[in-house]
Amino acid sequence: MTADLNEFRASVRTWCEEHVPADWRRAQTGVGDEEFVRFQKAWFAELHSAGYAVPHWPHEWGGGLSVAEQIVLYQELAAHDAPRLVLAFVGIHHAAATLLAAGTDEQRQRHLPAILDGKIWVQGFSEPEAGSDLASLRTSARRVGDSYVVNGQKLWASGGKHADWCLLLARTDPDAPKRKGISYFLLDMTTPGVEVRLIRNAIGDSHFCEIFLNDVEIPAANLVGAENAGWQVAQATLGAERGLTMLELAERLGNAGFRWLVEASPVDDPIVADRLAQFETEITGLRGLCRKVVEDNEAGTAGPADASIVKLYYSELLQRLTDFGVEIGGMAAHTQLAKPMSSGWESGSWMLDFIGSWEWTIPGGSSEIQRTIIAERGLGLPREPSAV
Amino acid sequence: MTHEFAEFHEELRSVAGDVLAKDSCVDWSVLVNAGWVGLEVPEQFGGAGATFSEVAVICEEIGRAASANSYLGSAVLAVGTLNALQPSDTRDRLLSDVASGAVRAAVALESTEFVPDAEGADRVLVIADGGLAVASPAVTPQPVLDETRRLATVTADDGAEMLQFEGDHAAAVRRLLDRAAVAVACDSLGLCEAMLSATVGYAKVRHQFGRPIGSFQAVKHACADMQVSIAVSRQLVSAAVEAVAAERPDAATAAAMAKSYVCSAAVDVVGKAMQLHGGIGYTWESGIHVYLKRAALNRSLFGSPAAHRKRLAQRYL
Repeated sequence: MTADLNEFRASVRTWCEEHVPADWRRAQTGVGDEEFVRFQKAWFAELHSAGYAVPHWPHEWGGGLSVAEQIVLYQELAAHDAPRLVLAFVGIHHAAATLLAAGTDEQRQRHLPAILDGKIWVQGFSEPEAGSDLASLRTSARRVGDSYVVNGQKLWASGGKHADWCLLLARTDPDAPKRKGISYFLLDMTTPGVEVRLIRNAIGDSHFCEIFLNDVEIPAANLVGAENAGWQVAQATLGAERGLTMLELAERLGNAGFRWLVEASPVDDPIVADRLAQFETEITGLRGLCRKVVEDNEAGTAGPADASIVKLYYSELLQRLTDFGVEIGGMAAHTQLAKPMSSGWESGSWMLDFIGSWEWTIPGGSSEIQRTIIAERGLGLPREPSAV
Repeated sequence: MTHEFAEFHEELRSVAGDVLAKDSCVDWSVLVNAGWVGLEVPEQFGGAGATFSEVAVICEEIGRAASANSYLGSAVLAVGTLNALQPSDTRDRLLSDVASGAVRAAVALESTEFVPDAEGADRVLVIADGGLAVASPAVTPQPVLDETRRLATVTADDGAEMLQFEGDHAAAVRRLLDRAAVAVACDSLGLCEAMLSATVGYAKVRHQFGRPIGSFQAVKHACADMQVSIAVSRQLVSAAVEAVAAERPDAATAAAMAKSYVCSAAVDVVGKAMQLHGGIGYTWESGIHVYLKRAALNRSLFGSPAAHRKRLAQRYL
């Protein structure tokens, strides 16, 4: 087993040495949208041809690496500073997990191979009035014959402008308790009535989008799971992607992220050295935690708040680490006006990484929400009395 | 870690928890009879032939109970030190006597000051230039605020027998210091967990403003932070215990990370526990001060966090 794993590691290493584009960070720094999409799709295709794009999918759909192999794969990709799959992310994780867990055979046949061919997905969950309190979403879907007619507005749809398909939560029963009247749909983004508007974020780029839905018709065949069971479908699939994607990010932080921090730092200054050692220790703890969560997920022994612990710790560690990068970088850190696209949150353009770190502490359940989950689901503390 | 080991550790943990819960002070004979002292003593000398991984379980449970006993000095350090020596009649006899409980030893590892559990010990092993002196020195207690630890200054006597470490002297001493640091980190992890559990229990039953204080976000989030740093601590401790038990080359790094992070985190965690218990937490009777003092002492024992991070940072140069 260990011998096989070592062999697998060696083969991934060889592959990385031959395939990770040399100097991609410099080449992708500050590129426009078109080049970013081209590069992402080309890298996805390259990974896919090696069997590394969707290692977590079942074998019959093009994946089938064991969890231990996936851990090795992400460790090596990070160690070789490979570009990150940004554009395909929602498709290969959220969409696939949803379809595999709750989709029909027809839906899987239609969409899973298409994802491998490069179809891009976006998540249409949040709304202006439904952020942390996602279950209060208002976008409505009304059944008319063989279709649903959808009206509403989605917010923070990351990558929306490039998306071919959208994972959409909409309310199908306005009279039911809020979590019991939501349904889960697959929306073709070319459907009439879908309008995408860009939102410029704090670092100046526009991968977050608003999606306006005006009498959009979705065929009933694109409903995932039962009508009004969308909340459960969403919960199951949100949890499914947490472990390994976090492990990948932790490994990246431990490789390129920390390496650059050390390179940029006056390490002979004892105060700087002390803080670096503190960060290295914390990153090591994070990596261990991620491995443990992935293994426990596999064994079915993960605790109810484990994913929240990892998300919270990663987010805040990232924020402190990038902040330190800015501090160490001095004035020069402020002159880096662009960062390499296709990197993670450890691009080495510390100011942009630092400002961008709020993209971790706010979305996907803000740090405050994570703390509440850890306390209530993990430690069993009593819920806040309801405001209503 | 294999499944059988995990099961064995759980059993050890559960038994240790029961034994240590009986009294806040635990006699040497209890530790001996439980078989904990001889865990790492080779079977030929009457021990269990187990590893540092099992010792680590006991250390964690001792921390959880904030138990006052001489396990750290007279088992963890003493047996670890004897095992690192070249075999000799004296060493072999000492190992047997320690395992049987006939002799209680202590080790002046870092210096001759603040030697754990030297008071009342039958022998003190003192690291000396190029070897280890087996002495019966004069011992002067050094009282500390943490009443669960017994520390003392030892004054070496001249007639001591000198023993040699296996392999390089400095490397052997370094490994012993790493072991000591990790053992203390295990202790701090245990006491963190005890304090989180006590705090969560209290926050569920203590009512103010007509609701359990644990339903207030400020309290809840403080508990969540305790949980997160414990989760990270556990990873660093596990990695360090494994590395030390297997004598892996990265053991020094793993030990420095575990000691610096966990022993700092423990002071924060216990401090939060005192805060969240409110007025009761500040009373002598609540016993939280015992944990806070022990956590703070652990942080200083066998290298401050800054000293350990300094060692880590040597690798960046």
